[in-house]
Amino acid sequence: MSSEKSVSNQLANKSQRSQKGPHLTVGRLRIDATTYGSTVVLIVGIIITAILQPVFLTVSNIANVLSQIAVLGILTMAQTIVLISGGIDLSVGSNVALSGVVAGLLFMHGVPLWIDCMVALLCATVIGLINGVLIAQNRAHPFIITLGMLTLLEGIAELVTGGSPVNDMGALATTLGGTIFFGIPTAVVLLFVVVVLTAFFLARTPLGRAAYAIGGNEEASYLSGIPIKRTKIYIYTLAGVIAGIAALTLSGILNAAEANIGTGLELQSIAAAVIGGTPLIGGRGGAWRSLQGVLLLGVISNSLNLMSVGANYQNIALGIIVLIAVMVQKNR
Amino acid sequence: MQPDSDYLDWRDVVVPQMLKVENVSKQFPGVQALRAVSLEVKSGRVHALVGENGAGKSTLVKIISGAQPPDSGRIIFNDVAFEEYSPAYASAHGISVVYQRQQLVPMLSVAENILLGEQPTRSRFLIDRSETYRIAEKLLNRLRVEVDLRKRVAELTPAQQQEIAIAKALYRQAKLIILDEPTAALGPSQIERLFELIRDLCSHGISVLYISHHLEEIFRLADRITILRDGRLVTTQATTDLTQSAVVNLMAGHDPRRVVGPSMLPAGMVDADVRMKSIASQESTLLEIRRLTAGPVLRNINLIVPKGQVVGVTGILGSGTHDIALVLFGLMQPVTGEILLGGTPYNAHDPRDAIARGVFLVPENPARDGVVAQMSIAQNITLVDLPAITRFGILRLKEESETARKYVSMLRIAAPSAVREVAKLSGGSQQKVLLAKALQAKAQLLILEEPTQGVDVNAREEIHRIVKELAATGKAVLVISTDIRDLLLFTDRILVLREGQIVDDLPASVGDYTRILNLTLGVEEAE
Repeated sequence: MSSEKSVSNQLANKSQRSQKGPHLTVGRLRIDATTYGSTVVLIVGIIITAILQPVFLTVSNIANVLSQIAVLGILTMAQTIVLISGGIDLSVGSNVALSGVVAGLLFMHGVPLWIDCMVALLCATVIGLINGVLIAQNRAHPFIITLGMLTLLEGIAELVTGGSPVNDMGALATTLGGTIFFGIPTAVVLLFVVVVLTAFFLARTPLGRAAYAIGGNEEASYLSGIPIKRTKIYIYTLAGVIAGIAALTLSGILNAAEANIGTGLELQSIAAAVIGGTPLIGGRGGAWRSLQGVLLLGVISNSLNLMSVGANYQNIALGIIVLIAVMVQKNR
Repeated sequence: MQPDSDYLDWRDVVVPQMLKVENVSKQFPGVQALRAVSLEVKSGRVHALVGENGAGKSTLVKIISGAQPPDSGRIIFNDVAFEEYSPAYASAHGISVVYQRQQLVPMLSVAENILLGEQPTRSRFLIDRSETYRIAEKLLNRLRVEVDLRKRVAELTPAQQQEIAIAKALYRQAKLIILDEPTAALGPSQIERLFELIRDLCSHGISVLYISHHLEEIFRLADRITILRDGRLVTTQATTDLTQSAVVNLMAGHDPRRVVGPSMLPAGMVDADVRMKSIASQESTLLEIRRLTAGPVLRNINLIVPKGQVVGVTGILGSGTHDIALVLFGLMQPVTGEILLGGTPYNAHDPRDAIARGVFLVPENPARDGVVAQMSIAQNITLVDLPAITRFGILRLKEESETARKYVSMLRIAAPSAVREVAKLSGGSQQKVLLAKALQAKAQLLILEEPTQGVDVNAREEIHRIVKELAATGKAVLVISTDIRDLLLFTDRILVLREGQIVDDLPASVGDYTRILNLTLGVEEAE
């Protein structure tokens, strides 16, 4: 086939595709909304906010936005990996709470901080491992298994704290909760590192590839010799590890640990991933896409804050924006 | 005819109902599925529809039941031409299809299933349960079906589920019931029950369009037989004017294409070729199956596949051909018997195990079970052996795309590049992607299920060529297919299965389409 012909073929296919889905035409540039929907919404959101509230684009405000979304961003990476493999993890939020509480209580009882952090990470990892084993061994949907885990972990966290928060995380508040160089919050740098590693994991490791394959077509993956159970166990375990990192980051930022601190984070992480372009059906999406969703949520809530919109109205606005963002990518 | 008064609304059936199919044509990409097919079904009659796989039977059923519109021609039912083609329209006008796979809700009760969606209500919104059960009971009594109305459908046998599906059709006042291979899952006594039921329906003016491979059943039941071949109507005749072997001949056509090699070797040379291969085979047996019994039908199977041979396996639905593939790929465990692969005992416990030992299966429906549609060609190919492109735990994407490019050009996969999503490829190209996977897996034994189903003529020829070339490099290929003509074109030997047993093993070069068809159907050949 001549190169000219294949180019015209590609063009034909492209125009065919853009006819199908909604698209935006800027001059000669045609933007396919089903692929770049979240990017478009994000950029439009930033432009509108910047016009309405010039403060938005100041360095200190941007740093503020980023540090506010850091924990959600890290947790969304855990959710992204699980969603791509065709699963869902509702226990990430309560995992954050319990692991944070474990670190906090140990610190309160005089155990050196680095040991507390290691134990908290181990705790988060084991929770992920248990999720993975239960999901791999059972026919029950991950939704219900991780929902059970969510309730269980919340209960344990309440029990061990006796309902009262731990209000001192020592050096964690100045390291993970502080800034690193040039006044950049450590949490933001950590977010960036986690996103880069997640993106690399998904794109460049056999396990990441297997996650896409299982999420895309589990039967075909099984017939291709992909070890389905083992892959699922690894994926949920990895999600646990990332939730542990999020737990330490959150404890540092708040300089506190509390049993109900993770409530709602699991749903926010799912919303962010889906808005960004990692759909619930599995097999598609990625770390950078999910990060867009996190940024979008962060920008919107920041701009509403700047405009002094009340909390109730903020939730209404957020809900509407989530719905709009998902509508424009209906093909997923 | 004296209609029975408690047969619900059947008493309305005094006018003979009639289905007329007029010059219906339907084209799919690369295939002309139906060409100007016409037929008439008289009321109160059993009309059989026969033809080999791909003759157009299922397309015709889809059009009659409104699932697909015809490209041209029309369906006239009860003197009214179809105004639209939708299942709801066809069903509302009295056409019901009872499929091989039942369309019942497993967790609902028998009565609820029969009346589902059209239940009697009390004050418009509440379902009248007692009335639901009363109507269902009356209907089943009339059909002389003995089933507990409160039982969940999931607990019923396939035979009972079929009866419930028929009852459901009747409740919707079906005038024409289409039965697609209704005896596939039934035992002998259940078949008798079904036949009684069908005769009973007919005595009440209901017509049955009966689709089956079992000619013996058709000759017992049907008043008339319509034969399709290659999407064309061959003939419609009264059963009394036909014999089973005449039907087979008409299904096969008068020009049974024999082996069509690339060079059409003279007969003597073909024989010599076969002999050469069989001599060679004794030294290089790759797969040997001894007295294998597995699954519901396979009994005492003995089979040898030498390196370099393409062996076809054919038989009608339920004959056990698919189960052989399942056993070899670790998806079904043998009950007794022995399998040797390359001289050593072979018993794969799952596909991963089978692939590691050099066996690869290309499933019947690549789009559903074979490919990961949203991944690229390259990603699909390398999925079968990720360690091969992994160095120090990291995927080498450059190596991956080089590997894929090699296969794309080797197998002539029609795609602008190897990063193309597999979802955007044609059926033939998807099939080739799976063949590339088999090569990447370094499989010694390839099992292909219905490899040319739904692919266009060009892709079909290319797949034939590729399979022959693979065999020439020393691989063994087992092709499991219901398309006998297709097998004759590119296999070395054909095994015929009937009711779980091998009834013949013949070289494709001497294979005759009609003879093999007779063997699969269990029909004595008329000389």
